[in-house]
Amino acid sequence: MEIITSILAGILFATAIYNILQKQFLRIIIGTTLLTHGAHIFIFTSGRLKTGQPPVLTEGVSDYTDPLPQALILTSIVISFGVTSLLLVLAYRTSEENNTDNMEELRGNEHE
Amino acid sequence: MSNLAVLPILIPLIAAITLVFFNGNVTVSRVLTRLFSLVSLGAALYIAWHAMENGTIILETGDWAAPYGIILVVDRLAALLIVTTNLVAAACAFYAPHAGLGKKEYYYFYPFFFFLITGVSGAFITGDIFNLFVFFEVLLMASYALIVLGGDKVQLRESIKYLLINLFSSMLFVTCIAFLYAVVGTLNMAHIAERVQEVDQQGILTTVGILFFFVFATKAALFPLYYWLPHSYIQPNPVISALFGALLTKVGIYSILRVFSLIFVHRLDITHELFIWIAILSMIFGVIGALSTNNIKLIIAYNIIPAIGFIIMGIGVFNQDALSGSVYYLVHDMIIKAALFLIVGAIAYVAGTSDLRKMGGLIHYYPALGWLLFIAAFVLAGIPPFSGFIGKLQLLQGAFGDGEIILAITALITSLLILYSIMKIFIRGFWGEKDETAGFGTKSVKGMIAPIAFLLALSVLLGVGAEFFYPIVASVAQSLLDPQIYIDSVLKE
Amino acid sequence: MIFAVLVPLLIACFIPLLSKMKHRIHTGIFVFFVPLAIFLYFVRYIGENFTPVRETVNWIPSMGINFDFYLDGLSLLFVLLISGIGALVVLYSIYYLDKQERLGQFYVYLLMFMTAMLGVVLSDNVFVLYTFWELTSISSFLLIGYWHFKERSRYGALKSMMITIFGGLSMLGGFVLLTVVTGTTSIQGMIDQTDTILNSSYLPLILILVLLGAFTKSAQFPFHIWLPDAMEAPTPVSAYLHSATMVKAGIFLVARFSPIFSTYEWFFIIVSLVGILTLCWASYMAVRQTDLKAILAFSTISQLGMIMAMLGFGTQAAVFAAVFHILSHATFKGSLFMIAGIIDHETGTRDIRKLGGLMTLMPISATLALFGTFSMAGVPLPFLNGFYSKELFFGSTLGLDGNILSQAIPYLAVLGSIFTFVYSMYFFFGVFTGPKKLDQLPKKPHEAPIGMHLSPIILVLGVIVIGIWPNLLNGSFLYHAASAVNPATTYYEVSFWHGFTYPPLLMSLAVVAVGTALYLTRRKWETVYGVLPGRLSLNKAYDGLMKRFDTYSDSLTNYYMTGSLKNYMAIILGATFLVTAGVMLYTGGFTISFDNLAEVTIIEVAIILAMIIAAVATIFINHNLAAVLVAGIVGYGVAMLFVIYRAPDLALTQFVVETITVALFLLCFYHLPKLRKRKESARSKWKNASIAISFGAMMTLIGISTHSSRWFDSISEYFLETSYKLGGGDNVVNVILVDMRGLDTLFEIAVLGIAALAIFSLIKWKKNKGEAD
Repeated sequence: MEIITSILAGILFATAIYNILQKQFLRIIIGTTLLTHGAHIFIFTSGRLKTGQPPVLTEGVSDYTDPLPQALILTSIVISFGVTSLLLVLAYRTSEENNTDNMEELRGNEHE
Repeated sequence: MSNLAVLPILIPLIAAITLVFFNGNVTVSRVLTRLFSLVSLGAALYIAWHAMENGTIILETGDWAAPYGIILVVDRLAALLIVTTNLVAAACAFYAPHAGLGKKEYYYFYPFFFFLITGVSGAFITGDIFNLFVFFEVLLMASYALIVLGGDKVQLRESIKYLLINLFSSMLFVTCIAFLYAVVGTLNMAHIAERVQEVDQQGILTTVGILFFFVFATKAALFPLYYWLPHSYIQPNPVISALFGALLTKVGIYSILRVFSLIFVHRLDITHELFIWIAILSMIFGVIGALSTNNIKLIIAYNIIPAIGFIIMGIGVFNQDALSGSVYYLVHDMIIKAALFLIVGAIAYVAGTSDLRKMGGLIHYYPALGWLLFIAAFVLAGIPPFSGFIGKLQLLQGAFGDGEIILAITALITSLLILYSIMKIFIRGFWGEKDETAGFGTKSVKGMIAPIAFLLALSVLLGVGAEFFYPIVASVAQSLLDPQIYIDSVLKE
Repeated sequence: MIFAVLVPLLIACFIPLLSKMKHRIHTGIFVFFVPLAIFLYFVRYIGENFTPVRETVNWIPSMGINFDFYLDGLSLLFVLLISGIGALVVLYSIYYLDKQERLGQFYVYLLMFMTAMLGVVLSDNVFVLYTFWELTSISSFLLIGYWHFKERSRYGALKSMMITIFGGLSMLGGFVLLTVVTGTTSIQGMIDQTDTILNSSYLPLILILVLLGAFTKSAQFPFHIWLPDAMEAPTPVSAYLHSATMVKAGIFLVARFSPIFSTYEWFFIIVSLVGILTLCWASYMAVRQTDLKAILAFSTISQLGMIMAMLGFGTQAAVFAAVFHILSHATFKGSLFMIAGIIDHETGTRDIRKLGGLMTLMPISATLALFGTFSMAGVPLPFLNGFYSKELFFGSTLGLDGNILSQAIPYLAVLGSIFTFVYSMYFFFGVFTGPKKLDQLPKKPHEAPIGMHLSPIILVLGVIVIGIWPNLLNGSFLYHAASAVNPATTYYEVSFWHGFTYPPLLMSLAVVAVGTALYLTRRKWETVYGVLPGRLSLNKAYDGLMKRFDTYSDSLTNYYMTGSLKNYMAIILGATFLVTAGVMLYTGGFTISFDNLAEVTIIEVAIILAMIIAAVATIFINHNLAAVLVAGIVGYGVAMLFVIYRAPDLALTQFVVETITVALFLLCFYHLPKLRKRKESARSKWKNASIAISFGAMMTLIGISTHSSRWFDSISEYFLETSYKLGGGDNVVNVILVDMRGLDTLFEIAVLGIAALAIFSLIKWKKNKGEAD
């Protein structure tokens, strides 16, 4: 199963990257959310994918899934949520100011 | 075990939160900012003194013993960087009210400022790789907030690129941590290092290490990953540029230094050989970038890249001389980059433009600013007796000593071109006839000079007083070469 | 001794105060006593029984960098030159520079230079020497740019700095290598380890790097081009830095390291060849100049070349001749520069085409110039020190053993000296004889005040005294200097007459004869300058190079700094992929093991397949709203997986966050202008796809490998054990979050807080801006 989830995460990375390499803001941001999912699945896989008990201590159960990756993912989800929200607002403001949602039209030619 | 270790992150955090509540009141905010920056500096100095005297300070947060809880580790390297960070921050705090922030001061500028310091300090002292990621996010989030502050068209445009590239590398960072965790089953850096030492088959670890390197190299702006840096760094106010230039990339290079001296040291022939080539290319391309432009802010922004190249050069060579050179250079560059960004900020402010072609003869109006720039140019280029020289000399000794001739000669040529790129500003901007029609000389640089002079004085002190600093740096280099020192201090408490 | 070196710098700190009262007293009067005192301090060391003196003050002992001052014969020669000529130049400047000038700055730079130069010649520590060396470049830069409102001054200042600092850095490289090889930072210590250095594989590199430093500083071919442009500096500076002292720092360096390198064949070849080439080329070029100071600049270059060549020969005779000539050159060239300054000052021009017949108007200057130029030309008269120099030089060129170069040297020496003779005559007769052209002069010429003549008179007296008593200083002074360069040197007697068949005399006579002929017929052969150098100007090469720095760096940087996020990402991804995948292949990092895998169940596979389809679909769906929703499916899929893998907290959070994110998406993009469809070329699509697929594949492979290399138990076991006992909670994930990794959580909240503030200010700023507009 771990191999399959690794492949899934790899595909999420690939689709994320493809989207990020697009021109349109919306696509790029969709790409970043996919990237986040890919990363989280990798973290999740890094602990064993035991279909044991949830890591809530119960009398008489000794087989739990690895709690640490779960904690890490929780932290990471919250952080990515913050970043994504900011990114969305920023993208909105940028496209409004510059009157385009095409990244390629935002190259800038101030280099001199 | 000492609670002292938490102060470098706690004080700025408290400062940031306090300042959120005083956001509307600029006068109080300014006073509090200066006050907090001095308190934080004082604490940092005390902690550094403590770490030098009594050895590494370890704090097991929440009383969870290493390697299970998050450990804060203030060793000599971290102590040096904390002090430097706070020095730069204090200079920026005193410069900020004069920097023409305008309305930005009402938009949480000061809280963001302290959040940034929190993140940077945290990244320097944490002993846990995932916690490092969290502190990266704190400082990045603060930097996003600062870079978009008061955004106009151009600024927003560059900000979004900055954010996207950093977002990508952050996600890659988290993934790398996952990979590492899968192999070694732990997150504490000392513990990781200890476990990595125990295994024979290192191929996958080296691969993960290289991936880590690319994550940090993106943040540190190394070749060929620095494209996002120059244009985004010059957009915000000079104070913000100074903070970014002095601190952000340095966190990236610090992480490389830490991780590649502690954890991934088993295949020097691959990893560190790669660094040497990246160092060469970063120096060349960075300085070429600096020569390519007439925008004074951009000149300084490009100069970040060869400096990072110098630091990675020492990590690549990886011997006592080279590593102490890297550490010296790291501290030196944090100070001088901040000073230079503040200087060009002041120049652009008084000249009303950052285009060198529209300036001239400024020395007649702003002699102090001109001479500060003049000294800064030599500090940056590593001309003795200033701080850049000591670091560069060590790096050269390390590189020549290891037979890395091409690397050393590239470093020498780069120094010359760095000097040229800055002297261009002095010659074209400050020398020349007094031009009454250009309207220079109407704005005052009062209040800007003192923080700049303070930073430059530090640079001079670091060079002239090298006898005081060098033994510290040398001992840092020694401990970097022997990861066991770090491991023991964390795990064998 | 150390105090003596630092005195000028200390005094310089007080100059700004002194220059406040410059309207009453010229600042130079105070400054004059500084070099004078130093001269008097050091002059007492002159004597038959001189022995080297050493004095050390620690600076950075742990790096081996200390103020380790070592006064031997060679240093003494230079110290006296620096302080002696320094005093005369300051004296001269009092009359030359008007009180209206920025005298404070001028003297600060000059004193800074004095300290720097004294430091260079006294330091035994290579890094301290280097420090002072760069300081001379910096003060020279400031002095050349003193009149920085002139474009030419700025150009000259930058040029001199670029070339000399280039040399300085290269010399630093050489020094570092020397310390790496010998383990010492002391020059005398290195001399003691000559064998180690000569056997080092770095020897050629060391030699080249150190010599580059010397050649750039001493304006040797082809690095001489900065010196003529340095003439934009005020004349006292030209006389002092760019003729008598700073440009001799390179000579000093070669002399200082001679004991190490002299037995190395390439040292002889490079130094002699460069020196003799410089002599010939610069004297040839001097004849062509029209600016008096430019003539003197090229003359200086050629004389430096001559000294350099003699150091290259390295024989006893040659070294003594070099030392003798350093002194001679300082006297006659110093006086000539001052005369050129006087002419400039009194007539308003230095253009030799506008000058002529000044003999009657400026008789004192003419007399002084006569001695100076004839001494420079090496005219065989028993009261000109220049003649002895020239004869010693010729003598040293003869009888060098071996190769073709040694055979050619005497001829080249004569050739160079012929042109030296021509430009000397050209200088003197062009200015002081011939028809007067007073109408072309900006000012009506008359003799300068006697004070201005004081310094050149003293120097010319030196020319004559040494000319009459050539051995006056040999035993007590020059011998010590020469023996510091070549330890085998014995006392050397100079005399005027050696008989008719003495070869150097014949060479001198040939120079005078051919030189006179060439001088008289120079109008006829001047066209050769159109052929050589013609278009092959080194200056143009320098200008072209500097220009190319600008244009090429500009076009190169513009080429890759496209401002396109897509390009940047592609490069970052490409580089990361290539190197990481390469390393994985090279180290055999890929491993796969099927042990200990979790079971594969249908439901999981179904969810995963759905996620894959949704993820791929985001690429192909053109409708934006649909794309957002499809991306949402992936997010919910992740949540489902969390449910299956017993992570209830995660699943819950993921559901909530995903929902809010989708809502935010819709909210933000609801407000945007109608989005246009983006067409993309097939090529670009393939490029993107290949980057994406290869990167994704690499991540998968690394993921599988790490999973197959679980070599350790996770620290989580500990968390499961202690969660309840120590953390007081059953839900281990929660305990980890709030307790064991509480710091993470604290700062995760901080991140969220910053994000909220940032979003708030982004939106509010816009609102306020809208109101302000």
